[in-house]
Amino acid sequence: MNRHFRSRKTLGIVVASALAVTVTGCGNRDDAGRSGDAAEGAPSPGITDTTVTLGITTPLSGSTAGPGTCTVAGVSAYFGAKNAEGGIEFGDGKTRTVEIEALDDGYDPQQAKANYDQLKDDVFAMTAGLGTPTNRAWRDAAIADEVPQALIMTGDPIFSDTEESPWQLGFVPIYQNEGEAFGELLAASGADHKVAILSQNDDYGEGYVEGFKSAVEGADNIEIVDELTYEATDTSVDAQITELAASEADVIFNAMSLVPLVVSALQKAQQLNWKPSWFLPSNTSSPGAVLEPGGGAAFPGIYSVAFAKAPASPAFAQDEDVVAYLSALKEFGNYPDAPAFPHCQWSWMVGATLEQAFQNMEEPTRDSFMEALRGIEGFQAPLMLPDTSVDTTQDGQPAVSSVVVQKYNGRGYDTVEAFE
Amino acid sequence: MATSSTNPSSTNPSSTNPASATSVSTSSPATGSAPPLWQRPWARAAGWLLLLVVLAVLPLVMTEFVNETLARIGVFAVAVLGLNVVMGYAGQVSLGQIFFLGVGAYVTAYGVSNEWNIVLVFVLATLLPGLAGLVVAMAAARLGGLAIAMVTIALPIVGVPLAKRLSDYTGGSQGLSARFAEAPEGSGLFDDQWQLYIVLVIGGIVFLLTRSLVRGKYGRAFAIVKGNENVASSMGISPYRYKVLAFTIASLIGGVSGFLYMVVIQYTSPETMSFGHSIELLAAMVIGGAASIVGSILGGAFYVLVPQLTNQVDASLTTLLQGVILLVVLFVLPGGLASLPRVLTRGRRRSGADRGPAASPTTPSSTPGSGTAAEESETERQGHA
Amino acid sequence: MGKFVQLVVDGLSTGSVYGALALAIVLVHQATGLINFAQGGMAVLSAYVVWVLTNQGLPLIVAILIAIVFSVVFGALVERWLMRRFERGDPDTAVVVTIGLLTLITGVAGWLWTYNNQQFPSLFSLDTVSFLGVSVSVRSLGTTAVIVVAMLLLQGLFVGTKLGLALRAVAINPQSAAFSGLNVGRLLMVGWGLAAALGAVAAVLVAPQLTLTPGMLDNALVYALAAVILGGLTSPIGVVVAAWIIGILENLAAVYVPFIGFDLKVAVPFILIFVVLLVRPQGLFGRKNVVRV
Repeated sequence: MNRHFRSRKTLGIVVASALAVTVTGCGNRDDAGRSGDAAEGAPSPGITDTTVTLGITTPLSGSTAGPGTCTVAGVSAYFGAKNAEGGIEFGDGKTRTVEIEALDDGYDPQQAKANYDQLKDDVFAMTAGLGTPTNRAWRDAAIADEVPQALIMTGDPIFSDTEESPWQLGFVPIYQNEGEAFGELLAASGADHKVAILSQNDDYGEGYVEGFKSAVEGADNIEIVDELTYEATDTSVDAQITELAASEADVIFNAMSLVPLVVSALQKAQQLNWKPSWFLPSNTSSPGAVLEPGGGAAFPGIYSVAFAKAPASPAFAQDEDVVAYLSALKEFGNYPDAPAFPHCQWSWMVGATLEQAFQNMEEPTRDSFMEALRGIEGFQAPLMLPDTSVDTTQDGQPAVSSVVVQKYNGRGYDTVEAFE
Repeated sequence: MATSSTNPSSTNPSSTNPASATSVSTSSPATGSAPPLWQRPWARAAGWLLLLVVLAVLPLVMTEFVNETLARIGVFAVAVLGLNVVMGYAGQVSLGQIFFLGVGAYVTAYGVSNEWNIVLVFVLATLLPGLAGLVVAMAAARLGGLAIAMVTIALPIVGVPLAKRLSDYTGGSQGLSARFAEAPEGSGLFDDQWQLYIVLVIGGIVFLLTRSLVRGKYGRAFAIVKGNENVASSMGISPYRYKVLAFTIASLIGGVSGFLYMVVIQYTSPETMSFGHSIELLAAMVIGGAASIVGSILGGAFYVLVPQLTNQVDASLTTLLQGVILLVVLFVLPGGLASLPRVLTRGRRRSGADRGPAASPTTPSSTPGSGTAAEESETERQGHA
Repeated sequence: MGKFVQLVVDGLSTGSVYGALALAIVLVHQATGLINFAQGGMAVLSAYVVWVLTNQGLPLIVAILIAIVFSVVFGALVERWLMRRFERGDPDTAVVVTIGLLTLITGVAGWLWTYNNQQFPSLFSLDTVSFLGVSVSVRSLGTTAVIVVAMLLLQGLFVGTKLGLALRAVAINPQSAAFSGLNVGRLLMVGWGLAAALGAVAAVLVAPQLTLTPGMLDNALVYALAAVILGGLTSPIGVVVAAWIIGILENLAAVYVPFIGFDLKVAVPFILIFVVLLVRPQGLFGRKNVVRV
C-alpha cells in the first residue's frame, strides 16, 4: 500500500509517526496522578464535614443489569435508612450523611474506566460494583490514583491480595472458597461419589472448579468422571446435560451464574431421568426463582453455599433484620419488587460493613478509610447467617470468606454439616 | 465535561469555518469569479496551522477528565475510520471491525507485558490484524457481499470464546492489564496529557494517510466498486482486488485503534471485542456520516459521549435515552452528523435566490458524506445482507 | 446412539427458536429489502404484553391473541412512521435505524419492567415423551410444530397468494409495483405487521425456557441472521431448514469434535455458511439475484 505514496510529505509523516511511537516507550516512571498529591492529613475529595460521597460503576443495562441494579439498591437503601436517622457518626467525631453516585457501565470495561475517571475526583471511595473485567479495567488506575475500590462484587482473588491491590478489597467470597466448601463436604462424606462438572467458561466457573478440585484432590472416594463448560451467551445447555447424564455421575457440580440456564438444566436432567445430587453457587440457588421452576424437589439433594439469609425463605419471614431490610429497599433503594438476586442482600451488607469502617476511621482521608476497612473482625453484618461473619483482616481473603453449605428442604435451605 | 465542539478534528482545513465541514470539491457553488474565503490557499494553510496550534495546546489546558475523554474519542474515531474505509467508501458490509481493534489491543498488551520494544509492538499491533483481515478478505471477497457480511459477523462472535481459550496469551476471561503509557520523566507532562498527545499524533497520521487514500485513485476505485461491481470490472477495475484492499486497510486501521485503546484504557478482555460493540461502531459510523473523514471523528465522539451523557441524565435509563438519541439524530440528519453543514447550506440555497441545481459531485470520493437518504437514489448493492 | 439422537432432537428444538426469528427477518426483507435488527426486540415487546395481561388474570391464549394483534399494529406503525423515511435511501442508514429501534425497545422494556428474569407461562406442558430411547419434551415438540406450520403458511403466502406476490413485487421494484396499481405503502405496512406477529409467536414459544428479559432474543438474533443467510434471503422453508441444520450441527460438533468443544461451537454455523456460500452463493434455497447494469 505504501509503495504508491512517493511524495515527500507522506514520507515525512511516516518518519514522524515512527518517532512518535518510539517516544511512547520512553516513559516508565511511575508518575503520580494529578489527584493523588493531597498533603498529609488534608481531607480527600468527596468528603466534607457533613457528607461523604461514594461512587459505584456497575451494569445497569444489558444482560447483567438484574444483579447490577441490586448492587446499587442494597447500599442505597442501607444508607438511605441511616441518613433518615440522622447520619453516621464517623471516627473523627463528625456525623455525616452518605450520598451515592451510581453510573451504568453496561458490563463494558472501557465504560467502567470512563465512569471511574468521571467519578474519582468527586467521590471519597468507589464501592459495590459488579463484574470482574469491569473492576479489573480500572484497578490499576485506582492504585495509581490512590482511590479506594472497596467491597466490590467479584470473587476474583486478585482484589483481596494486599500486595497486588493495596487499595482494593473484594466483598463476596472468592469463587474458590465456595467450590472448596462443597468439595470438603463431599470428600468428608465417606461414600464413593462420581462427580460431573458443568461450569461457565470464564474466571467465575474456573474459580469454582479450581476450589472444588483442590478440596477433593486427595480424596479416594471422589472421582470426577466428566467435565464440560458452556458460554454465558448460550441459549441452552441441553447438549451438555445430555452428555453428562451419560456419565452416570451421582453428583453434579454446577458453577452457573445464569438463572434461566440453571432452570433449564434442572428440567433437562429430569427429562433424561438423571437425578444426581446437585450443587449450585450462591447466586443462582434461590428457591423461588430457580428451584421451584426447575423442579428441584425431584432431586435427592440440592446443595448450595451461602452467607446471607434469603428473604423469601419462610424461615426468615419474621426475622427483624429481614423485615427492616425489605422495607428500606422499597423506601430508599428505589427497588419496589421483591429482591430478584442475592446481590441486593450482599449490597446491604456492604453498606453495613462500610459503616463499620466509617465509625473506626480517625481522619477524613482515604488512607485512614482503607486502614479502618482492613481492621474489621468478627462483624456479623445484618442478614448474615450464623457461623458467618465479616473479617477483613486476612490478607488474600475478601471481606466475607466464611460460607456455610446448605441443603434445599423443599421450601428453603437448611445449613448442613455433612453430605447425605 | 467535553462536548462535541472540542473534538480534535485533525484533518479538515475548513473545520474552523462553520459554514462547511466538507473538504473542497469541484462542486463549489460558483457565485462569482473568486472562490469563497475558505477555499483560498492561504486561508486553508492558515486553517491547518490554527488547528495544529489548537491541538498542541489543548491537552495542556484541559482537565484530566476532558483529556481522557478526548483520548477515548480519538481511539474510537480511528476505529470508525477503518470501518468507513471498507463500508462507507467501498460499500462492503463489515460487522467485525471491533475484532481488529481487539486483536490490536491484545497484541499490544501481550507485547508490553513481555517488555518488547514499543515500536515493534506497534508494528505488530497493526500488522497482525491486517494480516487477519487480508486472509479473511481474500477468502470471502470472491463470494459476494453476503459472505463478507457473514464472515465479518463471525469474527467477533468466534473471537470472544477464542480469546478465552487462548488464556496463556490473552489472560483468559480476566483480561490483560498493561500500564505502559506513562509520561516520560522530565517532560513535565501528566499521564493523561501524554496519552492524548499519543492519540492525537498517531490518530492524526492515520487520518491524514487515509484522507490521501480516499481522495486519490483508490478512493475513486472504491466508489465505483461500491456503486456497481459489473461496471467496475468492465472498466478494468477488479472488484475483488479493491475489496480485499479496502478490507485490509480497514483491519490495519483497526489494529492501530487497538494499540491506542491499550494506551488509553490500559486493559483488555474478551468483552473488548464483543459483537455488540461492532453494532455500536456501525451505528457510530452512520451517525457520524458514512464515507466521511470528519464523520469518523464525529462517530467516535458519538460512541464515547452518548453513554456518558445518558449516564448524567439518569444512570438507570441509559439504554432508553441512547435509543432516543440515535433515532432523533437519524431522523433529523439521515446522512449523519457530518451532513449538517450540507443540509444547512442546501436549506439556505433553496430559500435564497441562487441559480442552478445543487451540483452533485462528479467524483464521489472527493465529497465526503453519502448525502441525505431521501435525496439520493437508492444505492444498489449486490447481495447486501 | 441414544446420545446422538438426543443431540439431534435437542438441536432441532434450539434451531426452531432461531428459525422462528429468521422467518420474521425474511418476511421483512422480502417486503422492504431491509434486515431488521430490531426483530427480536419487537418480538420480546409482544411477549411482555402477554406477560402483563396474564398477570392481570387473562388466560394465556387470549393474551397471546391480543399480543399478536398488538404486534401487527405495532409493526405496521413502525414501518409507516419510522422506517418509511429510510427505505429508499442508504441501506446502512436503514439498518442503523433498526438498531436504534432495538435499543429504544430494550430501554423501554427495561424501564417499565426491569431487567430481572420474569417467569413466563408456557403454552405447552413440561412433560416428556419417550420414543426410540430418546426423551423429548412436549414443549420442544410443540415449538417445532408451530414453527413448521408458520413456515408452511409463509411459503404458501409468498408463492400462492396475491398478497405474497404483491409483497414480493413491492420489494423488487416499488415503482413498477405502484404503476401496476398496488398500494405500496399499505403493502409495506402489512409486511412489517406480519413479521412482527411472527416474531411475537416466536417469543411466546421461547420465553418460558429463556425467562423473559428485555434482551431475551439478543443472542438468538445472530443465529437467526446466520440461518437467513445460509438458507437464502428469499425462502421461508430454506431459513427454517438452515436454522435446524445450525442447531443440530452445533450440538454434534460440540460433542463429537473435541477440538471445537462447547466454547467454540458457535463457529460451526459460520463455517457451514462459508462452505455453502462457496458452492451456492445465493444460499441453500435462495434464488439467484439478477441485476441488470
